[in-house]
Amino acid sequence: MSIVQRMASNKASSAALTFELVAKCSTTRARASILTLPHGPVNLPIFMPVATQASLKGITPEQLEATGCRLCLNNTYHLGLKPGQEVLDAVGGAHKLQGWKHNLLTDSGGFQMVSLLKLAKVTEEGVRFLSPHDGSPMLLTPEHSMSLQNSIGSDIMMQLDDVLVTTHPDKARMREAMERSVRWLDRCIKAHKNPDRQNLFCIIQGGLDLEMRRECCREMVARDTPGIAIGGLSGGEAKDDFCNVVATCTELLPDLKPRYVMGIGYPEDLVVSVALGADMFDCVWPTRTARFGNAITKHGVLNMKKEQYAKDFGPIEDGCGCPCCRPVDQEGAIGVTRAFVHHNSAKETVAAHLLTIHNVWYQLHLMGGARDAIIADKFPAFVKEFFNNLYPDRKSYPSWAVNALKNVGIDLFES
Amino acid sequence: MSSDGHEPTAMTFELLKTAVKDGGARLGRLAFPGRRTVDTPNFFGLTSRGVIPHVTPDNVEKHLLTNGTYMALEDFIERPQQYMTRSPPVYETPSPNNKPLQSFTAMPSSIITVLGSRRLPAVAAPMGNTNQSISVFTSTGFQAITTKQYINAIQTLNPDIAIPLADLTHKTSAPTSKRALRMAERTDDWIKEWFTEMYGRNKEPSKIATFAPVLPISYSIQWEYLERLSEEHQSNPSVLSGLAIYDADLIPDISYQNLDTLPRLALTTPSNPHQVLRQLSLGMDIFLLPFLSTASDAGIALSFTFPPPPSESSKLLPLGIDMSSPEHAISLQPLTESCTCYACTTHHRAFVQHLLCAREMLGWTLLQIHNHAVLASFFASIREALADGTFEEKARQFALRYEPEIPQGLGERPRARGYHFKSEGPGEQKRNRPAWSKFEGEKEIENKVADLRIEDEQNGTSGLGSGVDSVAETPLVPDKNADAKDLEEMGFAQKAEDK
Repeated sequence: MSIVQRMASNKASSAALTFELVAKCSTTRARASILTLPHGPVNLPIFMPVATQASLKGITPEQLEATGCRLCLNNTYHLGLKPGQEVLDAVGGAHKLQGWKHNLLTDSGGFQMVSLLKLAKVTEEGVRFLSPHDGSPMLLTPEHSMSLQNSIGSDIMMQLDDVLVTTHPDKARMREAMERSVRWLDRCIKAHKNPDRQNLFCIIQGGLDLEMRRECCREMVARDTPGIAIGGLSGGEAKDDFCNVVATCTELLPDLKPRYVMGIGYPEDLVVSVALGADMFDCVWPTRTARFGNAITKHGVLNMKKEQYAKDFGPIEDGCGCPCCRPVDQEGAIGVTRAFVHHNSAKETVAAHLLTIHNVWYQLHLMGGARDAIIADKFPAFVKEFFNNLYPDRKSYPSWAVNALKNVGIDLFES
Repeated sequence: MSSDGHEPTAMTFELLKTAVKDGGARLGRLAFPGRRTVDTPNFFGLTSRGVIPHVTPDNVEKHLLTNGTYMALEDFIERPQQYMTRSPPVYETPSPNNKPLQSFTAMPSSIITVLGSRRLPAVAAPMGNTNQSISVFTSTGFQAITTKQYINAIQTLNPDIAIPLADLTHKTSAPTSKRALRMAERTDDWIKEWFTEMYGRNKEPSKIATFAPVLPISYSIQWEYLERLSEEHQSNPSVLSGLAIYDADLIPDISYQNLDTLPRLALTTPSNPHQVLRQLSLGMDIFLLPFLSTASDAGIALSFTFPPPPSESSKLLPLGIDMSSPEHAISLQPLTESCTCYACTTHHRAFVQHLLCAREMLGWTLLQIHNHAVLASFFASIREALADGTFEEKARQFALRYEPEIPQGLGERPRARGYHFKSEGPGEQKRNRPAWSKFEGEKEIENKVADLRIEDEQNGTSGLGSGVDSVAETPLVPDKNADAKDLEEMGFAQKAEDK
């Protein structure tokens, strides 16, 4: 038996969720767990692909299922605009709308509102903006967000928070946003109609100010939501700062709740964040970059549009087990070559669909590999191999990753 | 028939029933070893650049219900400006079963591949053909391909069925009689070369099934060419396995007994099922149907059945339903009643309607799957009717009950200005209205697009459908036509008290 720390009590349940801690890495803070949601169990750590408008960019729910995905995102903001709450209610929620038998997570809609509508203004009541057509003032409140997410029926819903970019210079405004997010959580909890079948996660704010993050952690944890998200990151802050915030928060969070770092998707970010004790991640990058002709591989991102792949008849990634790459004699294999993806990149949507399948598989498989390593208590070796594959020259290891990992006991330069 | 190489071509075609003596609809069965058997009349899928538009090869195998695909050589031989000297990659595809075209396109091995020179329908070339070459249209522009190059390409790519070059104008107007005569002469010269190169006396005869073109000109002008086909086939049956017919009305004129028993592939581009039925009655066996993808791109779910459903009403039935229409917004019905396709059994109209309105690519994928299934079941019912002798009566009912044309569809189309769409000249309106962008301020969007262009260029990803598209791909701000009341009704936000 490997040296795995077994918890005396390793399981916690709330009305619509069970969290079971399976193993903890004996070196880092990495954890392996099983999160059981209303639409079935998922293994953590996990990457969640983003099906913004109830569809993962051209691939069928059946194909998404075949990548192993059992939990994906929908965006509340987009579904609120199309098809709208009335349709969601009539159809019976987003699972039914998109024919997805597994779990869904929805954001609160606030992030898109603030980042995309330049005219939006955040007040204590909610987000104010002008109707684009007639210019009349509108208000999006925590109550609206809850009501929409209740109509969507997502397995995990997110509180409406006051999001600022972490690099926002005004400290007073940052504090206001953090405190307001706590007050809005209370309003969200009160407005949430289906706590028995939908889980509401809080979102920790506080910018890059670690003391403010700690304070927010204490406030949020006290409200005992079934899961906890770390928000506001991936907005252009330095990677060192990002790691400090994640590490600071995970240190204060209870063991038996899932921890979700929002908006993270680069493979290095995922692996480091897992080492820092985070469990769940989402990002549009893997699927968006697929549409630009980019394939994610363990040796880095390859742009299939480049001339060098025009006559490359190998799979998108050697040794990959996704339906595109696995050897043609295997069940469900498509037998796609780099040359074929090159041939149709930006010319036929099918090329984007194939890369989407590959990239989603890569991300899910990366987290699956991390999980297996944690359970076998070989996570540090997994991390070293991952960076070794990505950067053949150790000198080019990113210093933020080296430092962050050193703080949790992994020395990337030690062989 | 064995596939171990003793047979010159491995294809078999069996005529099971011929309805009328001279021409007339007929029942048959086309088979290649290792491929799905094709009961005829039937249709093959039409590819663009080696793919059925919007459908990945795994879904072609699992859900598309087609037994064959047509591919065009011009889709594979572009010469990018920076790499003018590079040979087309497709020719170098390693293929364990010696089927490079199939391996390159990842087309499932159960599916028959047909290779021709031009897309269907083809864009007319400004410079025309010569005595030794035709003009083709690639993603990097027009180029000439010689008869010799074409034969080499066919031999390298090894499709199951190949269509030799024909001298065609690809214009809607009929050629002058002088031009028509030259078409016949050139095509005749080219087929001679084809037979010599593919099946010549001193060569190992090719196993590729040749479907010789029948030109869209009157019989009297091309009779010498057709005579040659008949004679060559008489002396060596394996040189000719089928006919690729550009005008169905010629079928009754081709009265060579040995050619009558060959399968007939329609390159006629019928624009609706009425035309399919008519051509089928003339004796066509296998169809290629551009209207399938056109309907899917327009958001149309085809809805016809053969025979039409019984009805008291005298109102004509539509051939398709516009799925982008808001009337389907909360409908949990399948796209069409009793359809058993993947789209209809796992999804519903509300989802497809949502996908079309949100311009999500999956909408077109599901419609492609459905529309191919509608055609598969259309042809299956036709074969049943031919078998039990009710075809003519049912075809008559079909003509009476359905509207003459497939509806246009108001849905926004994908990629509506791809290189293979015919341009109507300068000043042509975009078919899709610009999505969403204005609200953020035009300046900002322009900057964003410019940024993405730079990003694209840096990544070497400039081109169709890359970053620039993605700005519009996911609507980011509310519909500019949505007023506050709409948003409130959608539950998205509420009208605020003025402060």
